[in-house]
Amino acid sequence: MKREDFLRETVIPMKLRPKMTVNQLIQEFSNSGCFGAGRLSSACDIFERMVRDEQCTIFLAVAGAMVPAGLRAVIAYLIRKKLIDVLVSTGANMVHDLVEALGGHHYKGHWFVDDFLLYKYHIFRIYDIFVPEEAFTKADKAIMDMFDEIAKESEGHSLSSCELMWEIGSRLNDPESILRAAYEAKVPVFLPAIRDSEFAFTYWVHSKRHPAGDFLKVDTFKGVSEIINIMERSSRLGMVVLGGGVPRNTVQHAALMAEKGLDYAVVITMDRPETGGLSGSTLKETVSWGKVKEKADKTMVIGDALVIFPLMVAAVLERLGEKLERRSVG
Amino acid sequence: MEKRLEPRERFCGNCRYHNAYQYPDLILCFVRYQKNEDPVVSTFGCCGKWELKSQECFCLEEALRKRNEREG
Repeated sequence: MKREDFLRETVIPMKLRPKMTVNQLIQEFSNSGCFGAGRLSSACDIFERMVRDEQCTIFLAVAGAMVPAGLRAVIAYLIRKKLIDVLVSTGANMVHDLVEALGGHHYKGHWFVDDFLLYKYHIFRIYDIFVPEEAFTKADKAIMDMFDEIAKESEGHSLSSCELMWEIGSRLNDPESILRAAYEAKVPVFLPAIRDSEFAFTYWVHSKRHPAGDFLKVDTFKGVSEIINIMERSSRLGMVVLGGGVPRNTVQHAALMAEKGLDYAVVITMDRPETGGLSGSTLKETVSWGKVKEKADKTMVIGDALVIFPLMVAAVLERLGEKLERRSVG
Repeated sequence: MEKRLEPRERFCGNCRYHNAYQYPDLILCFVRYQKNEDPVVSTFGCCGKWELKSQECFCLEEALRKRNEREG
Protein backbone atom coordinates (compact mmCIF):
# COMPACT_ATOMS: atom_id res chain seq x y z
CA MET A 1 0.00 0.00 0.00
CA LYS A 2 1.08 3.52 -0.73
CA ARG A 3 1.13 6.34 1.83
CA GLU A 4 -2.02 7.99 0.40
CA ASP A 5 -3.96 4.72 0.78
CA PHE A 6 -3.81 5.20 4.55
CA LEU A 7 -5.16 8.73 4.36
CA ARG A 8 -8.27 8.41 2.21
CA GLU A 9 -11.13 9.16 4.63
CA THR A 10 -11.14 12.05 7.04
CA VAL A 11 -12.89 11.97 10.41
CA ILE A 12 -15.92 14.24 10.11
CA PRO A 13 -16.80 15.80 13.48
CA MET A 14 -20.21 14.75 14.76
CA LYS A 15 -22.95 17.35 14.71
CA LEU A 16 -25.87 17.01 17.11
CA ARG A 17 -29.11 18.93 16.89
CA PRO A 18 -32.53 18.91 18.58
CA LYS A 19 -35.08 16.29 17.52
CA MET A 20 -32.51 14.07 15.80
CA THR A 21 -33.79 10.59 14.99
CA VAL A 22 -31.88 7.48 15.99
CA ASN A 23 -30.75 6.89 12.44
CA GLN A 24 -29.57 10.48 12.09
CA LEU A 25 -27.45 10.00 15.21
CA ILE A 26 -26.02 6.79 13.74
CA GLN A 27 -25.16 8.71 10.56
CA GLU A 28 -23.16 11.12 12.71
CA PHE A 29 -21.43 8.10 14.27
CA SER A 30 -20.61 6.99 10.74
CA ASN A 31 -19.14 10.43 9.97
CA SER A 32 -16.83 9.95 12.93
CA GLY A 33 -16.18 6.33 11.99
CA CYS A 34 -14.09 5.85 15.10
CA PHE A 35 -14.13 3.58 18.15
CA GLY A 36 -17.54 2.25 19.22
CA ALA A 37 -19.40 4.87 17.19
CA GLY A 38 -17.81 3.68 13.96
CA ARG A 39 -18.40 0.03 14.78
CA LEU A 40 -22.03 0.64 15.70
CA SER A 41 -22.67 2.49 12.44
CA SER A 42 -21.05 -0.44 10.58
CA ALA A 43 -23.23 -2.89 12.52
CA CYS A 44 -26.34 -0.97 11.42
CA ASP A 45 -25.21 -1.08 7.78
CA ILE A 46 -24.51 -4.82 7.97
CA PHE A 47 -27.81 -5.63 9.68
CA GLU A 48 -29.64 -3.54 7.05
CA ARG A 49 -27.90 -5.45 4.25
CA MET A 50 -28.77 -8.78 5.92
CA VAL A 51 -32.43 -7.82 6.08
CA ARG A 52 -32.52 -6.52 2.51
CA ASP A 53 -30.81 -9.67 1.21
CA GLU A 54 -33.77 -11.88 0.35
CA GLN A 55 -31.55 -14.95 0.12
CA CYS A 56 -30.14 -14.53 3.62
CA THR A 57 -31.33 -16.50 6.64
CA ILE A 58 -30.77 -14.42 9.77
CA PHE A 59 -29.87 -16.11 13.06
CA LEU A 60 -30.15 -14.11 16.29
CA ALA A 61 -28.00 -15.62 19.07
CA VAL A 62 -28.87 -14.39 22.55
CA ALA A 63 -26.90 -14.95 25.74
CA GLY A 64 -26.89 -12.97 28.97
CA ALA A 65 -29.92 -11.62 30.80
CA MET A 66 -31.36 -9.78 27.81
CA VAL A 67 -34.99 -10.73 28.44
CA PRO A 68 -35.00 -9.81 32.16
CA ALA A 69 -33.40 -6.47 31.24
CA GLY A 70 -36.19 -5.58 28.82
CA LEU A 71 -35.37 -6.84 25.30
CA ARG A 72 -38.26 -9.30 25.28
CA ALA A 73 -40.70 -7.22 23.23
CA VAL A 74 -37.94 -6.13 20.82
CA ILE A 75 -37.08 -9.76 20.03
CA ALA A 76 -40.76 -10.71 19.70
CA TYR A 77 -41.24 -7.74 17.32
CA LEU A 78 -38.28 -8.82 15.15
CA ILE A 79 -39.77 -12.31 14.98
CA ARG A 80 -43.23 -11.05 14.03
CA LYS A 81 -41.78 -8.69 11.39
CA LYS A 82 -39.67 -11.58 10.05
CA LEU A 83 -36.50 -9.54 10.53
CA ILE A 84 -34.92 -12.62 12.03
CA ASP A 85 -35.52 -16.17 10.82
CA VAL A 86 -34.09 -18.30 13.63
CA LEU A 87 -33.54 -17.60 17.33
CA VAL A 88 -30.81 -19.39 19.28
CA SER A 89 -30.93 -18.61 22.98
CA THR A 90 -29.90 -19.65 26.43
CA GLY A 91 -32.65 -21.55 28.23
CA ALA A 92 -32.74 -18.87 30.92
CA ASN A 93 -33.87 -16.13 28.54
CA MET A 94 -36.86 -18.23 27.47
CA VAL A 95 -37.67 -19.04 31.10
CA HIS A 96 -37.73 -15.30 31.80
CA ASP A 97 -39.98 -14.85 28.76
CA LEU A 98 -42.34 -17.38 30.36
CA VAL A 99 -42.13 -15.59 33.71
CA GLU A 100 -43.52 -12.44 32.10
CA ALA A 101 -45.98 -14.27 29.83
CA LEU A 102 -47.49 -15.78 32.96
CA GLY A 103 -47.93 -12.42 34.67
CA GLY A 104 -44.64 -12.18 36.59
CA HIS A 105 -42.35 -9.16 36.51
CA HIS A 106 -38.71 -8.14 36.71
CA TYR A 107 -38.01 -5.11 38.89
CA LYS A 108 -35.56 -2.22 38.64
CA GLY A 109 -33.11 -2.82 41.49
CA HIS A 110 -29.54 -1.99 42.36
CA TRP A 111 -26.22 -3.82 42.52
CA PHE A 112 -25.32 -2.11 45.81
CA VAL A 113 -27.64 -4.04 48.05
CA ASP A 114 -27.54 -6.50 50.96
CA ASP A 115 -27.83 -9.76 49.02
CA PHE A 116 -28.46 -11.82 52.13
CA LEU A 117 -31.43 -9.57 52.90
CA LEU A 118 -32.71 -10.26 49.39
CA TYR A 119 -32.24 -13.98 50.08
CA LYS A 120 -34.34 -13.70 53.23
CA TYR A 121 -37.09 -11.95 51.26
CA HIS A 122 -36.99 -14.63 48.50
CA ILE A 123 -35.78 -12.10 45.92
CA PHE A 124 -33.14 -12.98 43.30
CA ARG A 125 -30.73 -10.44 41.80
CA ILE A 126 -29.42 -10.20 38.24
CA TYR A 127 -26.97 -7.31 38.58
CA ASP A 128 -29.45 -4.42 39.04
CA ILE A 129 -32.62 -6.38 38.31
CA PHE A 130 -34.67 -7.98 41.09
CA VAL A 131 -36.91 -11.01 40.50
CA PRO A 132 -39.24 -12.24 43.22
CA GLU A 133 -39.07 -15.98 43.75
CA GLU A 134 -42.82 -16.37 43.26
CA ALA A 135 -42.42 -15.28 39.62
CA PHE A 136 -40.18 -18.32 39.17
CA THR A 137 -42.25 -20.79 41.17
CA LYS A 138 -45.39 -19.85 39.24
CA ALA A 139 -43.48 -20.30 35.98
CA ASP A 140 -42.05 -23.61 37.28
CA LYS A 141 -45.49 -24.95 38.07
CA ALA A 142 -46.85 -23.84 34.69
CA ILE A 143 -43.88 -25.41 32.87
CA MET A 144 -44.28 -28.70 34.77
CA ASP A 145 -48.00 -28.77 33.99
CA MET A 146 -47.18 -28.12 30.31
CA PHE A 147 -44.57 -30.90 30.39
CA ASP A 148 -47.26 -33.30 31.68
CA GLU A 149 -49.60 -32.30 28.86
CA ILE A 150 -46.93 -32.41 26.13
CA ALA A 151 -45.66 -35.80 27.37
CA LYS A 152 -49.16 -37.23 27.08
CA GLU A 153 -49.61 -35.82 23.56
CA SER A 154 -46.19 -36.87 22.27
CA GLU A 155 -46.67 -40.50 23.43
CA GLY A 156 -42.99 -41.25 24.04
CA HIS A 157 -41.79 -39.47 20.90
CA SER A 158 -38.66 -37.35 21.58
CA LEU A 159 -38.85 -33.63 20.98
CA SER A 160 -36.02 -31.30 20.07
CA SER A 161 -35.63 -28.08 22.05
CA CYS A 162 -37.11 -26.30 19.05
CA GLU A 163 -40.23 -28.49 18.96
CA LEU A 164 -40.60 -28.11 22.72
CA MET A 165 -40.42 -24.30 22.49
CA TRP A 166 -43.18 -24.24 19.87
CA GLU A 167 -45.30 -26.51 22.06
CA ILE A 168 -44.82 -24.11 24.98
CA GLY A 169 -45.41 -21.06 22.76
CA SER A 170 -48.70 -22.55 21.55
CA ARG A 171 -49.89 -22.61 25.16
CA LEU A 172 -49.18 -18.92 25.87
CA ASN A 173 -51.51 -15.98 25.19
CA ASP A 174 -49.19 -13.00 25.70
CA PRO A 175 -48.61 -11.32 22.27
CA GLU A 176 -45.34 -9.81 23.56
CA SER A 177 -43.98 -13.24 24.41
CA ILE A 178 -41.01 -14.36 22.32
CA LEU A 179 -42.18 -17.98 22.42
CA ARG A 180 -45.74 -17.06 21.41
CA ALA A 181 -44.45 -14.88 18.55
CA ALA A 182 -42.08 -17.66 17.41
CA TYR A 183 -44.89 -20.23 17.46
CA GLU A 184 -47.20 -17.98 15.44
CA ALA A 185 -44.52 -16.89 12.95
CA LYS A 186 -43.08 -20.43 12.77
CA VAL A 187 -39.63 -19.12 13.67
CA PRO A 188 -37.48 -21.93 15.12
CA VAL A 189 -36.15 -21.33 18.64
CA PHE A 190 -33.09 -23.44 19.52
CA LEU A 191 -31.95 -23.83 23.12
CA PRO A 192 -28.67 -25.74 22.73
CA ALA A 193 -28.00 -25.64 26.47
CA ILE A 194 -31.57 -26.24 27.60
CA ARG A 195 -30.42 -28.36 30.51
CA ASP A 196 -28.52 -25.38 31.91
CA SER A 197 -31.65 -23.50 32.92
CA GLU A 198 -34.83 -23.66 34.98
CA PHE A 199 -36.21 -25.96 32.28
CA ALA A 200 -33.84 -28.63 33.62
CA PHE A 201 -35.00 -28.33 37.23
CA THR A 202 -38.65 -28.46 36.21
CA TYR A 203 -37.88 -31.39 33.91
CA TRP A 204 -36.32 -33.27 36.83
CA VAL A 205 -39.35 -32.65 39.06
CA HIS A 206 -41.69 -33.59 36.19
CA SER A 207 -39.81 -36.86 35.59
CA LYS A 208 -40.02 -37.74 39.30
CA ARG A 209 -43.81 -37.50 38.98
CA HIS A 210 -43.74 -40.17 36.29
CA PRO A 211 -41.83 -43.13 37.75
CA ALA A 212 -43.27 -45.43 35.08
CA GLY A 213 -41.20 -43.58 32.50
CA ASP A 214 -44.11 -41.82 30.76
CA PHE A 215 -42.46 -38.43 31.13
CA LEU A 216 -41.49 -35.96 28.43
CA LYS A 217 -38.53 -36.98 26.25
CA VAL A 218 -36.23 -34.22 24.99
CA ASP A 219 -33.43 -35.05 22.57
CA THR A 220 -30.88 -32.22 22.65
CA PHE A 221 -28.88 -33.69 19.74
CA LYS A 222 -31.95 -33.57 17.47
CA GLY A 223 -31.51 -29.82 17.19
CA VAL A 224 -28.10 -30.27 15.56
CA SER A 225 -29.50 -31.69 12.33
CA GLU A 226 -32.44 -29.29 12.45
CA ILE A 227 -30.23 -26.18 12.47
CA ILE A 228 -27.79 -27.61 9.92
CA ASN A 229 -30.72 -28.45 7.60
CA ILE A 230 -31.88 -24.83 7.77
CA MET A 231 -28.38 -23.66 6.89
CA GLU A 232 -28.06 -26.14 4.02
CA ARG A 233 -31.33 -24.84 2.55
CA SER A 234 -30.15 -21.21 2.81
CA SER A 235 -28.25 -19.40 0.08
CA ARG A 236 -26.63 -16.99 2.49
CA LEU A 237 -26.24 -16.90 6.26
CA GLY A 238 -26.31 -13.95 8.65
CA MET A 239 -25.70 -13.88 12.40
CA VAL A 240 -26.39 -11.24 15.03
CA VAL A 241 -24.95 -12.07 18.45
CA LEU A 242 -25.88 -10.55 21.79
CA GLY A 243 -23.20 -11.64 24.25
CA GLY A 244 -21.89 -14.89 22.86
CA GLY A 245 -21.49 -18.20 24.69
CA VAL A 246 -23.22 -21.38 23.57
CA PRO A 247 -25.80 -19.60 21.33
CA ARG A 248 -23.05 -17.87 19.30
CA ASN A 249 -21.06 -21.06 18.82
CA THR A 250 -24.17 -23.05 17.95
CA VAL A 251 -24.78 -20.75 14.97
CA GLN A 252 -21.13 -20.54 13.93
CA HIS A 253 -20.48 -24.25 14.27
CA ALA A 254 -23.61 -25.20 12.34
CA ALA A 255 -22.47 -22.88 9.55
CA LEU A 256 -19.20 -24.78 9.44
CA MET A 257 -20.92 -28.19 9.48
CA ALA A 258 -23.20 -27.06 6.65
CA GLU A 259 -19.93 -26.35 4.77
CA LYS A 260 -20.92 -22.77 4.17
CA GLY A 261 -19.58 -20.29 6.69
CA LEU A 262 -21.39 -17.09 7.58
CA ASP A 263 -21.77 -14.31 5.03
CA TYR A 264 -22.78 -11.59 7.49
CA ALA A 265 -21.95 -11.28 11.20
CA VAL A 266 -22.56 -8.66 13.88
CA VAL A 267 -21.31 -9.49 17.37
CA ILE A 268 -22.15 -7.23 20.32
CA THR A 269 -20.16 -8.16 23.40
CA MET A 270 -18.20 -6.83 26.37
CA ASP A 271 -15.89 -9.85 26.43
CA ARG A 272 -12.20 -9.83 25.58
CA PRO A 273 -10.35 -12.19 23.25
CA GLU A 274 -7.25 -12.68 25.43
CA THR A 275 -8.76 -15.41 27.61
CA GLY A 276 -9.54 -17.64 24.64
CA GLY A 277 -13.24 -17.73 25.53
CA LEU A 278 -15.64 -17.81 22.61
CA SER A 279 -17.72 -14.78 23.61
CA GLY A 280 -14.75 -12.46 23.25
CA SER A 281 -13.18 -14.14 20.24
CA THR A 282 -12.82 -11.82 17.28
CA LEU A 283 -14.58 -12.51 13.99
CA LYS A 284 -11.11 -12.55 12.41
CA GLU A 285 -10.30 -15.50 14.70
CA THR A 286 -13.60 -17.14 13.70
CA VAL A 287 -12.45 -17.01 10.06
CA SER A 288 -9.59 -19.38 10.97
CA TRP A 289 -12.17 -22.05 11.84
CA GLY A 290 -14.07 -21.58 8.60
CA LYS A 291 -17.15 -20.57 10.55
CA VAL A 292 -17.20 -17.06 9.08
CA LYS A 293 -16.16 -16.45 5.48
CA GLU A 294 -13.03 -14.40 4.97
CA LYS A 295 -14.93 -11.94 2.78
CA ALA A 296 -17.93 -11.82 5.15
CA ASP A 297 -19.58 -8.51 5.91
CA LYS A 298 -18.74 -8.42 9.61
CA THR A 299 -18.09 -6.31 12.67
CA MET A 300 -17.80 -6.66 16.41
CA VAL A 301 -19.15 -3.91 18.64
CA ILE A 302 -17.66 -3.76 22.12
CA GLY A 303 -20.40 -2.50 24.39
CA ASP A 304 -23.47 -3.23 26.44
CA ALA A 305 -25.88 -5.13 24.20
CA LEU A 306 -28.79 -3.57 26.05
CA VAL A 307 -27.71 -0.18 24.67
CA ILE A 308 -26.19 -1.15 21.33
CA PHE A 309 -28.81 -3.60 20.04
CA PRO A 310 -31.90 -1.34 20.46
CA LEU A 311 -30.00 1.53 18.80
CA MET A 312 -29.05 -0.74 15.90
CA VAL A 313 -32.57 -2.11 15.48
CA ALA A 314 -34.20 1.33 15.77
CA ALA A 315 -31.87 2.81 13.16
CA VAL A 316 -32.46 -0.06 10.73
CA LEU A 317 -36.23 0.02 11.24
CA GLU A 318 -36.11 3.72 10.41
CA ARG A 319 -34.18 2.99 7.23
CA LEU A 320 -36.55 0.21 6.20
CA GLY A 321 -39.71 2.20 6.85
CA GLU A 322 -43.12 0.72 7.48
CA LYS A 323 -43.55 -0.88 4.08
CA LEU A 324 -40.90 -3.56 4.36
CA GLU A 325 -42.28 -7.01 3.73
CA ARG A 326 -39.55 -9.53 4.31
CA ARG A 327 -40.29 -13.11 3.51
CA SER A 328 -39.45 -15.75 6.09
CA VAL A 329 -36.50 -17.80 4.93
CA GLY A 330 -36.29 -20.29 7.81
CA MET B 1 -35.62 -6.50 60.65
CA GLU B 2 -36.36 -7.03 64.31
CA LYS B 3 -35.42 -10.03 66.42
CA ARG B 4 -36.31 -13.29 64.71
CA LEU B 5 -39.15 -15.44 65.95
CA GLU B 6 -38.23 -18.97 66.94
CA PRO B 7 -40.75 -21.53 65.67
CA ARG B 8 -42.88 -23.07 68.36
CA GLU B 9 -45.41 -24.57 66.00
CA ARG B 10 -45.14 -26.64 62.86
CA PHE B 11 -45.35 -24.40 59.79
CA CYS B 12 -44.50 -24.88 56.11
CA GLY B 13 -42.68 -21.56 56.43
CA ASN B 14 -40.15 -23.40 58.59
CA CYS B 15 -39.62 -26.21 56.12
CA ARG B 16 -36.49 -26.30 54.00
CA TYR B 17 -38.53 -27.53 50.99
CA HIS B 18 -40.55 -24.33 50.71
CA ASN B 19 -40.52 -21.78 47.89
CA ALA B 20 -42.47 -18.52 47.92
CA TYR B 21 -45.61 -18.74 45.76
CA GLN B 22 -47.45 -15.66 47.02
CA TYR B 23 -45.08 -14.11 49.51
CA PRO B 24 -45.49 -14.40 52.46
CA ASP B 25 -48.85 -16.21 52.60
CA LEU B 26 -48.57 -19.11 50.15
CA ILE B 27 -45.81 -21.61 49.48
CA LEU B 28 -45.11 -23.96 46.61
CA CYS B 29 -44.14 -27.36 47.97
CA PHE B 30 -42.24 -29.47 45.42
CA VAL B 31 -42.53 -32.54 47.67
CA ARG B 32 -46.33 -32.36 47.38
CA TYR B 33 -46.06 -31.64 43.66
CA GLN B 34 -44.00 -34.78 43.09
CA LYS B 35 -46.66 -36.78 44.94
CA ASN B 36 -49.35 -35.32 42.65
CA GLU B 37 -50.89 -33.38 45.53
CA ASP B 38 -51.89 -29.70 45.32
CA PRO B 39 -48.48 -28.04 45.77
CA VAL B 40 -49.73 -24.59 46.79
CA VAL B 41 -50.13 -24.51 50.56
CA SER B 42 -50.44 -21.89 53.30
CA THR B 43 -47.27 -20.71 55.04
CA PHE B 44 -49.03 -21.91 58.21
CA GLY B 45 -49.60 -25.43 56.86
CA CYS B 46 -47.42 -28.36 57.93
CA CYS B 47 -46.59 -32.00 57.24
CA GLY B 48 -44.12 -34.66 58.37
CA LYS B 49 -41.20 -32.92 56.64
CA TRP B 50 -41.22 -30.18 59.28
CA GLU B 51 -37.92 -29.46 61.00
CA LEU B 52 -37.27 -27.65 64.23
CA LYS B 53 -34.44 -25.60 62.72
CA SER B 54 -35.75 -22.16 61.79
CA GLN B 55 -35.30 -21.09 58.16
CA GLU B 56 -33.33 -17.94 57.40
CA CYS B 57 -36.08 -16.29 55.36
CA PHE B 58 -38.79 -13.90 56.53
CA CYS B 59 -41.77 -15.88 55.17
CA LEU B 60 -43.15 -17.09 58.48
CA GLU B 61 -42.27 -13.94 60.39
CA GLU B 62 -44.04 -11.71 57.87
CA ALA B 63 -47.02 -14.05 57.50
CA LEU B 64 -47.45 -14.07 61.29
CA ARG B 65 -47.21 -10.29 61.41
CA LYS B 66 -49.81 -9.97 58.67
CA ARG B 67 -52.11 -12.36 60.52
CA ASN B 68 -51.68 -10.47 63.78
CA GLU B 69 -52.44 -7.17 62.05
CA ARG B 70 -55.56 -8.69 60.47
CA GLU B 71 -56.75 -10.00 63.81
CA GLY B 72 -56.01 -6.65 65.46
